[in-house]
Amino acid sequence: MTGPRGNSTGGASDASPAILFDNVSRTFTTAGRRAAVPAIRDLSFTVEPATFVALLGPSGCGKTTILRIVDGLLQGDTGRVEVFGAPPKPGPDIGFVFQNFRLIPWANVQDNVEFGLKSMPLTRAERRERADHHLELVGLSTFRHAYPGELSGGMKQRVALARALATEPGILLMDEPFASIDAHTRELMQIELMRIWTVRRPVVLFVTHSVDEAIILADRIMLLSPRPARVIESFDVELERPRWTYDARAEPRYVELRSYLSDRMRELVVSDPASEFFGRDLVPPRGR
Amino acid sequence: MMIGVYRIGFLALLMVLWVVAADQFGRNIVPTPLATFEAAQRLIAEGRLQSAFRASLTVYLSGYALAVICAIPLGVLMGGFRVLGKTLEVYVFALSATPRVAFIPLIIVILGLGADAKIFIIFLGTLLPILINTYSGVMAVDEELVEMARSAGASQRRIFLSIVLPNAAPFVVTGMRLGAAIGLINTVVAELYTAVSGLGGLLAIYGNSFRMAEYFVVVICLAIIGVVVTEALRHVEARLVRWRGAT
Ligand SMILES: Nc1ncnc2c1ncn2[C@@H]1O[C@H](COP(=O)(O)OP(=O)(O)OP(=O)(O)O)[C@@H](O)[C@H]1O
Ligand SMILES: [Mg+2]
Repeated sequence: MTGPRGNSTGGASDASPAILFDNVSRTFTTAGRRAAVPAIRDLSFTVEPATFVALLGPSGCGKTTILRIVDGLLQGDTGRVEVFGAPPKPGPDIGFVFQNFRLIPWANVQDNVEFGLKSMPLTRAERRERADHHLELVGLSTFRHAYPGELSGGMKQRVALARALATEPGILLMDEPFASIDAHTRELMQIELMRIWTVRRPVVLFVTHSVDEAIILADRIMLLSPRPARVIESFDVELERPRWTYDARAEPRYVELRSYLSDRMRELVVSDPASEFFGRDLVPPRGR
Repeated sequence: MMIGVYRIGFLALLMVLWVVAADQFGRNIVPTPLATFEAAQRLIAEGRLQSAFRASLTVYLSGYALAVICAIPLGVLMGGFRVLGKTLEVYVFALSATPRVAFIPLIIVILGLGADAKIFIIFLGTLLPILINTYSGVMAVDEELVEMARSAGASQRRIFLSIVLPNAAPFVVTGMRLGAAIGLINTVVAELYTAVSGLGGLLAIYGNSFRMAEYFVVVICLAIIGVVVTEALRHVEARLVRWRGAT
């Protein structure tokens, strides 16, 4: 099958990229274990400004590690990383929605959302206003005084989302941000995210395991190899925006991309010697 | 609500056991509740109970406060600066494993038999539980929350104040509660081993002269101090982790 590939690096070439990875490697050594784990090796890619990128890859391949490096929380062992032309530095201009929420358990929802805002030169009233606005956005206004322990998993994830959005960052790193949200709310959150993105156009790196989510949200999908992560393929998603105004899932291009990506994902897992599913004869379903 | 009724019921049971014990062992060994009550009235009328109470409470709270003032900052420093913590912790654990009453003769030689020696004995007993708990509390910080704070652009100072310390607070109060109980024990020990004074002193006097009703009054007084202090701290502890029970 021929892949519906677009040109992988996108159009803009004159402006400097928003994110640049040049041959970046990172290996983890855990005390007490002999083998070092290479999480990413010789990873190179660029992300142009105002681009929504979905990272799609098998579990444990190094996606979270990539996001942590972009945020400056972790350094690569070798290679060069630049964010807007400078080495990455954590701060309110890079928002991070963590895979496991990371809410402060002794602070209520409001204070959690205001946490990142306290690193910005804002008055108390301005902080409050921004927090209120973003809590409303994720539909949790009535829970502002609740503690994280009183919230469901999906609600916690929305608080984490509001916290990352509240600083209105230029780069938004989202690590499976909708994974614990129910299907219905998830769709609403996707639309809200697309709306925000359309207005402010931040760079988004969006990690997901869902092929559908990747296609519906992203300008570009980067398919990552099993660990250590490399970019195997990079597609432009040429579906018209805004995508919530029509049924994108019915577009022939959507259907084609979806079935191609699903096959590739399955192939990756089955052909990875380190995978527990290595060598299984999984016949790809046909017919869509 | 029901539990309150049960507790009062159990108290009644204890009183019955007390009466039975007084009957079985003889009043000279276990005084009746009534005799104990009368002894208390006598001691209060003479003013002896109040002055002993005041003397004990003064050394107890002095030693305890001193320990809190030293242990919390030291524990925070040990937890905050890993090199300092790793260097000192072996000695802290060694000291906490040593029965500290063993130091009493040395303390008497250096500080004499007065209030200083008593306060120091209490300080020594109370210091380590608070120190060790504060230290573990600071180290028990959730590294993922720290990373979240770093990601949000928080300074080291802010991370310490907004993540590390609040996380440690319940541990600190637990240490203070354990320390309070040990401090009370050491108060009595100090009053028995140094210049006889306070409630511990009365305990020795009445115990040795078999005035068991008075002796019981003193025991009950000590129990009341212990209960009031530890319950107050337990209350603080519960408030600090209210968010945890909020489910
Ligand atoms: N702090 C760490 N110490 C040791 N090993 C680590 C550490 N962080 C990640 N790893 C290892 O690096 C590899 C990649 O981890 P990473 O969290 O980036 O994967 P991921 O793609 O986000 O996985 P998932 O989809 O399951 O979230 C894993 O094998 C993991 O065991
Ligand atoms: Mg991950």
